[in-house]
Amino acid sequence: MNGATPNPSVASLQARFGAAIGRTFVSCGDTIVVVARERSHDVLRWLKETPTEAYDYLTDLTAVEYRDREHPLEVVYLLWSLSQRVLLRVKVELPKEKLLEVDSIVDLWRAADWLEREVYDMFGITFRGHPDLRRILMWDTYAEGHPLRKDFPLRGRFSRAEQTRQALAGAPEANYSLEELSIAEAYHSVPGEMRERLGRQGRPQGVE
Amino acid sequence: MLASYVPLLILIALVAISAVAIVVLSHLFSPTRPTPVKHEPYESGIPPLGTARERFDVKFYLVAVLFIVFDIEVVFMMPWAVAFRQLDILGLGVLGGLLEMIVFVAVLLVGYVYLWKRGALEWD
Amino acid sequence: MGLNSHAAAGIIMSPNWITARLDDLVNWSRANSLWPASFFPACCAIEFMATAASRYDISRFGMERLAYSPRQADVLICAGRLPFKLAPVLRRIWDQMSQPKWAISVGACASTGGIFDTYAMVQGIDTIIPVDVYVPGCPPRPEGILYGIMLLQKKIKQERFLDPALRVERLLDDEGMFLPPAVVDEVSEPFGNSVHQTRSG
Repeated sequence: MNGATPNPSVASLQARFGAAIGRTFVSCGDTIVVVARERSHDVLRWLKETPTEAYDYLTDLTAVEYRDREHPLEVVYLLWSLSQRVLLRVKVELPKEKLLEVDSIVDLWRAADWLEREVYDMFGITFRGHPDLRRILMWDTYAEGHPLRKDFPLRGRFSRAEQTRQALAGAPEANYSLEELSIAEAYHSVPGEMRERLGRQGRPQGVE
Repeated sequence: MLASYVPLLILIALVAISAVAIVVLSHLFSPTRPTPVKHEPYESGIPPLGTARERFDVKFYLVAVLFIVFDIEVVFMMPWAVAFRQLDILGLGVLGGLLEMIVFVAVLLVGYVYLWKRGALEWD
Repeated sequence: MGLNSHAAAGIIMSPNWITARLDDLVNWSRANSLWPASFFPACCAIEFMATAASRYDISRFGMERLAYSPRQADVLICAGRLPFKLAPVLRRIWDQMSQPKWAISVGACASTGGIFDTYAMVQGIDTIIPVDVYVPGCPPRPEGILYGIMLLQKKIKQERFLDPALRVERLLDDEGMFLPPAVVDEVSEPFGNSVHQTRSG
């Protein structure tokens, strides 16, 4: 219901960050705050680390593109405070004319790792500072684009035959992580470019 | 007396014949269509990665060996149990048989207490 | 080796009473002990589990032993929608199965792509592997799956081992395709309500 009392964090945010906080509203009992893209990481860090706010649980991280094409893309952060049992929805608007980029929050909540990969895969929004930003739902070499964008056709851009051909040529083992490979002691038997990609992630103990 | 073994021999012959028949008939009727992928190890539908040789905990070996030892102990107990009533050890009758088995079990019990105290029965 | 390789080697062997009896024997054994290679991507798997459980019971068809290794499997039962990402896995498992092998495609998604006429789903596993029986439904009832199994049994019983077209490994061609591209495009054409679902541009 609109007009219900917003989450008290809104007032604290406006007091602390001032101009970086955009419009706020309440929808169906959820408080929504729009935050400027440049300060998003600072705002989220403050929300997590301040004892009075203590949003220690990242419930979800997703993105929206509205049917109204003029509307910017939105990256949506759903934050939950386990101690206070309060939900806050933080949105960052990304105008489509500019670069679709936002700061990664993996250093704050580890759960953001795969959630941001999914947003990148489906919307093409890159996250600065993400340790391993690659596709997660579609395969690594998927070339048709970002499926959940409104300008992406329902059946994909390539013909069905081409999609089948690319799917059959896909190598599923290319999606292994370093932990899995070190357990299988298979680090040295993977193709070179896969080792490079894994090398960028950093190596765990036990693999020379 | 040997006649009582004839059914056993017939059984052995039938088992051998059916085993051989199954293998031979399968070979005769099997369509053999070898392809390179069929010779690769199965790894849930992906090309196999790494070797199948992995190190595993020695506790499995210990349990297996201990099982063998105590299983043989039980194996020795079985004919003793069957012939128990007819035993006449040291002129003491069944008491002698019992004493003999107690000695046998006691020897193995010493070994059991040793491995228990040494921690061979620890699983974690 | 085997009798069928003699036939393939060109020794003319016309069907006679002995080959007919052999066919009966071999086909009866194969049809009544079809070990399924379970490949269950999605919801139709639940119906297959129901079919395998005690009320509908595939054990009376000799199928209670699910073979998780393709070497020991006879029939690949694909129950559920197949994403493009999983397509090479299905193809590889099918390739690793030893002859004789058959495939049953359970449900609308495995047969045609079902309601998922989208960028991510294979529009019917017959674009990837040869399928013998299609079971329609979303999901099909266990009776439907059992009917599909019985149809496969009937199909097996009609096989003649002297037939050279049987037991042919249909591998991927040089471009890595199972069917020619034109055929894949044609069978993947939208139909039914999919025709109206055209979010694009």
